[in-house]
Amino acid sequence: MAEQNEQKKEEKVEEPKKPTLSERKFIYHIEEEPTGDRVSKFLKAFAAALEYTNYKGALEIYSRTSAKCARCSAGCPIYEVTGNDTDIPCYRTNILLNVYRRYFQPLGSIRMRGWHLTEQHIDELKESLWRCTACRRCMMECPMGIDHGFMAHFGRYLLSEVGIMPRALRISTREQLEGATHNTSAIPVPALTDTLEFLEEELLEITGREIKFPVDVEGADYLFVPAVSDFMMEADTLMGNAAVMHACGYDRRYTIGSKDYDGINYGLFYSDWAWDKIIYQLVQEAERLKCPNIMVGECGHASRSAKYGVPVWGRELRRPVINCLEFAHQMFKEGKLPLVPGAIKERTTYHDPCNVSRVGWIVEQPRELLKHISTDYVEMTPNRRLNYCCGGGGGSVSCDETYEFRMEVGGRRKAEQLKETGAKYVIAPCANCKKQLRELIDYHKLDMELVGLHDLLLHAIDWDKVKY
Amino acid sequence: MEKFLEFARGPLFTATFLFMVLALLRLVVLQIVDMVRARSRNQDFRMPWQRMFQDFAGWIVPSQNMVRQRPLFSIMSILFHIGLILVPIFYVAHIALWESGVGVSWPGFGKVWADFFTILTIVGGLYLLFARIFQQSTRFLSTPMDYFLLILLLIPFISGFMMVHPALLPAEYNTVFLVHVLASELIFVLLPFTKMAHAVLFPFDRMASDYYWNLATDGPRKVAQAVRGDNLKV
Repeated sequence: MAEQNEQKKEEKVEEPKKPTLSERKFIYHIEEEPTGDRVSKFLKAFAAALEYTNYKGALEIYSRTSAKCARCSAGCPIYEVTGNDTDIPCYRTNILLNVYRRYFQPLGSIRMRGWHLTEQHIDELKESLWRCTACRRCMMECPMGIDHGFMAHFGRYLLSEVGIMPRALRISTREQLEGATHNTSAIPVPALTDTLEFLEEELLEITGREIKFPVDVEGADYLFVPAVSDFMMEADTLMGNAAVMHACGYDRRYTIGSKDYDGINYGLFYSDWAWDKIIYQLVQEAERLKCPNIMVGECGHASRSAKYGVPVWGRELRRPVINCLEFAHQMFKEGKLPLVPGAIKERTTYHDPCNVSRVGWIVEQPRELLKHISTDYVEMTPNRRLNYCCGGGGGSVSCDETYEFRMEVGGRRKAEQLKETGAKYVIAPCANCKKQLRELIDYHKLDMELVGLHDLLLHAIDWDKVKY
Repeated sequence: MEKFLEFARGPLFTATFLFMVLALLRLVVLQIVDMVRARSRNQDFRMPWQRMFQDFAGWIVPSQNMVRQRPLFSIMSILFHIGLILVPIFYVAHIALWESGVGVSWPGFGKVWADFFTILTIVGGLYLLFARIFQQSTRFLSTPMDYFLLILLLIPFISGFMMVHPALLPAEYNTVFLVHVLASELIFVLLPFTKMAHAVLFPFDRMASDYYWNLATDGPRKVAQAVRGDNLKV
C-alpha cells in the first residue's frame, strides 16, 4: 500500500513550467567571465573609444536628438514577440547614450544627476546587447533614423574589451587568427583539397563538364572567400559558385587561397579589434596571390564585414570587394551566364539577409536571377529592405546554447512569415541565415526546404548556350 | 507688468534668440568637426553623397515605413510639426516684429492660416502627450523632461491662439502675452540643450549611419592597447 502511494506521488510531480515568450532569457557561455569591477573597465574602454575611434560623432548626434518615442519597437522582431519594455531598441541605446551624457558631455554630472553606470547595468547590457541581432529594422522606424544596430555593435565592442563576449565566437576567432588552420572551423588544408576534389567529381556528374576549383592561382582577378563552413556544409552552394564562374569563362580568373579561405569575420559581431585583424589577414592573402579584387561567397556578414572593413583596415593593401551575387547578376545581364528560364518548377521565395539588404546593397540582383529561373516566385511580406531578420543574426546562430531562444523568440516572426508564403523553397544567400532558417523550418515543422541561390543556379545553367 | 512685458519683448528676446542661434551654430560646427575627424581617421575622404541625400530626403517625406506600424502617431507628429515650424516664422504678426526691430521681412500668411496651423499643432501636440502618457512603450522610455518639453511647446500656441481670440482669454491680455513671450524664450534657451535641438541637427541623424560605420583605421588597436595593454590575444 505504501509503495503504491509513493508511486502515485512520483507521478504527480509536475513538469517544470516553460517560460513564456516574454520571460525567455538569452544566455550564452562566456569564457573566463570577468567579475569584480566591470564598470570601471567599461568606462575606460568607452573613454578610449571616444579618443581613438569614430564613435563619438554618432554618440554626440544621437544623444542630442533621441526623441524617446519608442517607435523603434514597432520594427523589432524580438519586441513583437515578447512585448518587453526592455526589448525596446532605444531603451538599450539610451543606456549607452546615458553613459555618454553623464561622463563625457559638458555638465554631465549635473544634467544626469542621480544616474550613474552600475554593475546591474552591465548585467543588463550583457544580455540585452546580444538578445538583439543588430538587424537594424528599428533604424527604419525611428523618426530620427538612429542606428540602434550601430549602438548595439558599439556596446558589444566595449563589452568585449571588458572580457564579456560569447565563447563560441571567441574560440572560432582565436583559431582564425592564432590557430594553425587560420579559419573558424579549424579545417586544415588537406581536408580542404580533399573536399574540393570530391566536389569536382560531383560537378562532373551533375553538369557533365570538367569544372575545377582553382587554388592559389597567382594573378587571378578575384580572391574568392566563402564562409569556410560552406566547404563542409554547403556543397551545393560551392558547386554553384564554381559552375557559375566556369560558365562565364572565369575558371582561372578567380582563386581560392590556401593561406586564407575563410570569409567569416566574427569581429563584426563582437569586436572591432578582431574585425581589424581578420580583415588584414584577408588582404594579406589577396596580396600574396596578387588578386586585385576580393569576391565573398554566399554569406551576409562576411560580405558586409569585408565591404566596410577592407577600405578601413586593408590599409595599404586595400582593394575592391564584391559579393558573388553581384557578380552572377552582372554576368547574367551581360549574357555571359545563360540560365534556363523557369527551370525551378516549385514555388520559391526569397529571404533578404540583413547584412546585405538593409542598406540596399543586394536587393534586386538575386530577385532578377530567381524570377528568371523560377516559374512560381512569390515575395514574402514584408520584403526587401524591410524584411525580417532570420533570428540568428549578430552571431547568435553560432552559439548553440541560444537555440531555444532563437527558435521561440528571435526567429518566430520569420517562421510565421515563411509559412505565409506557401513556398517549397526559400532562398537565403547567407551562411548564418541558412543554419538558422533550416533550424526554424525543422523546429516549427514547416513544409519547405532552404537552399542558397547558387544551389539553384547550379541546376539552371543552360550549358548548351554557354560560350566557354 | 507693462514694463516687464516690454523688457521680455525687447532685450530679453534679443538675448535669448541670439543665445539660441549661437548655441545651435556651435552644435552644427561640432558635428562637422566630428565628421571631418572621422574621415581623417581612415584616410577615406569620400563622402557617400548619394546615400546621404537619399536618407535626408527620405526623412522629410514620410515614408511607408514610419506610417505602417503606428499610423496615428506618425500623422499626429507631422501635424504637430507643421504649425510648430510655420507659425513662428511665417505668421505676419511675427514678421512685422522682425521688420520693426531689425528691418527684415519675408512673405507670410495671415490670421486664418495661423489659426488653422495652430489648431493642428495643439491637436497634434495633445495627442502626442496622451500617447506618451498612455502608450506603454513610450511611457517606459519617457523622462520628466520629455513631458515638460511637450507642454512647454504647446504654451505659446495656446496662449497665442487666445490672444487672437480674446473671448478665450482666461486672464488679462497682457498677462497672457507675457506667458506667450516668456514660454517662447524659455524654448529658445532650452532648445540647443535638449532633444529640441533636432530642429537643426536632424540632417546629421540619418546620415550618421551612412557615415560613422566607416570606422577608424588605428582606433581598435589603440583602444585595445589602452584597455588591455600589450601582448593582445583573442
